[in-house]
This record gives sequence, structure tokens and C-alpha cells, in this order.
Amino acid sequence: MVLRSINLPGIGTKYELVTDKNDTVAIFFLKNGNIQMYTLPHEGQTPCVAELTASEARRLGAIMTGAIMESDQESVEIAFSALSDLRISIHTYVIGKSMAGRGIEDLQIRAKTGVTIIAVSRGDKNIVNPSPDFIFKEGDAVVAIGETDQLRNFEREYMVE
Amino acid sequence: MEGLVIALSVCLVLLVITRYWSWPVIPFYIIAGIALGTSGLRLVTPDAVSAFLSELGLIFLLFYMGLEIKPDRILSNQKTFFSSGIIDLNINLAVGLVAAYALGFSLEESLVIASAFFISSTAMTVTSLIENKKLLLRESETIVWMMVFEDIVLIIFLTLLSTSMSNPLILIGKVAAVLLLFYLIVRYGKRWILKLINREDELPVFLTFVAVICIAFISQAIGLPETLMVIAFGAALASTDPQSFERQARPFKDVFLIVFFVFFGIGVDFSGGFPLYVIIAISILAIGSKLLSGLLIGRIVHGQARSGVEIWANTIGRGEFSIALASLYGSAIVSAAIAAMVIITSVVGSFTAKYSGFFGRIFDMVRG
Repeated sequence: MVLRSINLPGIGTKYELVTDKNDTVAIFFLKNGNIQMYTLPHEGQTPCVAELTASEARRLGAIMTGAIMESDQESVEIAFSALSDLRISIHTYVIGKSMAGRGIEDLQIRAKTGVTIIAVSRGDKNIVNPSPDFIFKEGDAVVAIGETDQLRNFEREYMVE
Repeated sequence: MEGLVIALSVCLVLLVITRYWSWPVIPFYIIAGIALGTSGLRLVTPDAVSAFLSELGLIFLLFYMGLEIKPDRILSNQKTFFSSGIIDLNINLAVGLVAAYALGFSLEESLVIASAFFISSTAMTVTSLIENKKLLLRESETIVWMMVFEDIVLIIFLTLLSTSMSNPLILIGKVAAVLLLFYLIVRYGKRWILKLINREDELPVFLTFVAVICIAFISQAIGLPETLMVIAFGAALASTDPQSFERQARPFKDVFLIVFFVFFGIGVDFSGGFPLYVIIAISILAIGSKLLSGLLIGRIVHGQARSGVEIWANTIGRGEFSIALASLYGSAIVSAAIAAMVIITSVVGSFTAKYSGFFGRIFDMVRG
């Protein structure tokens, strides 16, 4: 894999990555804030292009780091390189029928999976750091924090209907 | 005042329409100016206000260009930068000069025409590369460096064209003194400048505006070309926080530059008896000589003449800098010729940039 970056006057910053299979991916951060992404297959002639807004590009980036995501669920992974590469994932989920009407303590989320629910979004109201006796309703969006493995356990334990 | 309002309203409509169709807008401002002004309906006449706003447009364009000049970036791409730039300069300047002289312009007029003939529009080129999604092409990087080279050559042109009017030694001495002053301001005032330009209130935008017009005014007062000094000022500030300065200067550049273009068109006077064949000859040569230089650059930088077709297709349009040269140094007849060349080349250029693949195939067919 070869990665090079260059500043193009008037245009912005270009990152070009040539994969081990000789395909080319190039990302241009344009001065207007948008991002153009080009892919050029090995031995190909014409590249494919997509133009993304900054938030679309962040979402795409999150998918490419391997986070599990559906259209109404998103996740970010934060890495603290100074703290021996500590990685924390934050993921959103939507509460389904099986969890509705039950509380955080009652479900023993942290004891069983290690995941902590740090916020709940209900309608247009947000509850940050909900108390252990908080009762979920169907359709609540919850924000869960933990390691990637712990979040996977959480999904297996609770999110499978 | 009402003339200004009429002209700018027309420009607003043109801007909306051209953006919708992704056309280059600069030629339309000039056409609108010609239609409204001296050579057309005579609805709008230039006055002191429009002249002042046009001047602001020009100095902010040049200041903005100065901010983009970063010597360290150029040094890391020397080979492409110099080989493409020098070919581009030699061929186009020579063709422009010979053509203008042969068409009956005086030597001095021919020099101005040749400079305007050589310099492609950075704004149109960059926009067309982005909008036609061509950034990944190897040629695109070469084109971008060519534009930077042309900008630097423009600085040299401005120096040469303005020195012819005064004693070069005194001028060089004054320029050196001002450059030293800029260097000292940036060297010792950098922390202070960074603090001011990154504030959230109206101070950064006002600071940028006042600093640029002060530099322009002071240069005029001490007999220096203001154009050069604002570029130099921009280049000096490029070592502080160019992005912030660009952000602050951009609204002034965008608005006043439109005033500059439309009033340039308004001032264009075709009444001096202007044979159509001169305009057509210059415009065709302007397109042809870029093809010649493009093919040679393709051959030398990319190892294949076909790359030159792509370079040519994206650099045909002459624009803001040609108009700037015409308005600074051109006589009425020279300005009219350059205006016509800008209109024709930029319209043709936007077409060739969009369909460069088609021209590439034609090139392959011709070569067999």
C-alpha cells in the first residue's frame, strides 16, 4: 500500500492510496468543504467519482473503520493513542419490543455485557446519564459506550428480536 | 449609482443562470457590460464609484492570488512546475507577440496582448477540473502547477510593464524596501497577526480590508505599482495563516471582482474601427497555440502527446488575469481585442473541458 498526500494550490489537499492489488483510491478535500472520492481499478482507464459533503464523508469513514451501522444506527470509535492505544466505541441503538417497559438495572446490561448506556433520546427529549431505574420505551434511541467486543455482546444479548 | 445597480442586477441573474448550467460566468459579465455600456445600449456609464469598486476588485483578486503563493510547495514539485511552465510561457508568448505585431499593433500593444494571450484563467481551470471531476487525472496536477507558474509570470509581467514608465533602479530600490518591511512585519508580528485574524468578531474582516486598501494606497503614494505590492503583501501573509485571510478577503474579492468584470465590459469601445478578422484571428491562434504547448508538455512531462489534449482542453479559457492586464495597460483597441479573446476562448474552453474525452478520441483518429 502506498499513500501520498499533496497540497494543490486553489484546489485543496489530495490523498492518493495505491492498494496492494494496484487499485487507486484518491480523496480530495476541496476548498469549499466538500470531498471528492475517486476510485480507479487496476488497468482501468476512467475513474469513478463521488462528491460527498463533510458529514457524509465522516459517515463513510465510520463505516470503513469497521463499525456496524444501519441507516438509523451509527457509531464512532475513539482512539487515544497516548493511552497505550485505548479504543472506545460509542454506538446508537433503537429499542425494540423485547426491551420496552424494562429498566437498565432490571436488564443487567452492564453486568452481563460491560456496556454502559450513557444517553437516551426519546422524541425530541434527550436524557444524558440515565439513572439505573430508567425504564425504556419502544422507539427510544440509546447511546451505548464500550469496547467493540462488549458492544457486540450487547447486540447479541439484547438487540436480537 | 443607478447604473451600478442595473449592471449588478444583470450580473446576479447571469450568475444564477450560468451556475445552473455550469457555464463559466466571466465571459457573460463582460458580454453584459458590452451590451449595457459604451459599445451597446449606453444604459450604464462608468463613474467614480464604479471605478473605485472595480479597483477594489482587482486588488483583492491579486491579494488573494498572493496568498496562494507558497514557495515550499513549488520547490517540492520543481520538475513538473518548470518544464510545463516554461514550455507554456515560451510558445504562447511568442505566438501572441508575433500574431499581434503581424496584425498591425505597435510593439508595446503587442506585448500587452501577448501577456494576456499567454495567461489562462486560473479560476475557470480550477472550477472546470473540480466540476468535470477530473482531479484524479495525472494531467490535472500538471495543469494546477502550470497555473501557479503563470501566476508568477504575471508578477514578472506587471513589474516589466510598470517599470517602462519610470527609472528602474529607483523602482527596484523602493520595492526592495517595501518587501523588507513586509518581511519584518510578518517575522516579528506573526503572533500578533494570528491573534487578530482568528477573532470571532468583525475585527478580522475589517483588518483584512483596511490592510489591503492601505497597502494599495501607500504604494500609489510612493509611486509603486499597487498591483505588485498587494500580491507581495498576500505572499508575505501566506506564511501566517493564509486560510483565515482567504476566508476574510473572499467576500470582497467575489463581489468587487464582478463589478470589475462588468465595468470592464462597459468601458470596452469597439467604435475605434475594429476589423472582425483581427478578433477571430487572435482567438483562433489563442486556442491553437495552447494546443501546441499542451501537446509538447504532454510529450515531455507525461511521455505522451495525448496527455497534451487534456491539458489543452482545460487551459484554453483566458479570463481574470487577461482582463486585469488589459484594464491596467491596454489602450482602447487593445482592451477590445482582449475582451473579445476572453469571451471566445472561455466559451470554447468550457466546452472543450467538458468534452475532452471526445477531443482525445479525435486526436487518436488523426494519428491513426
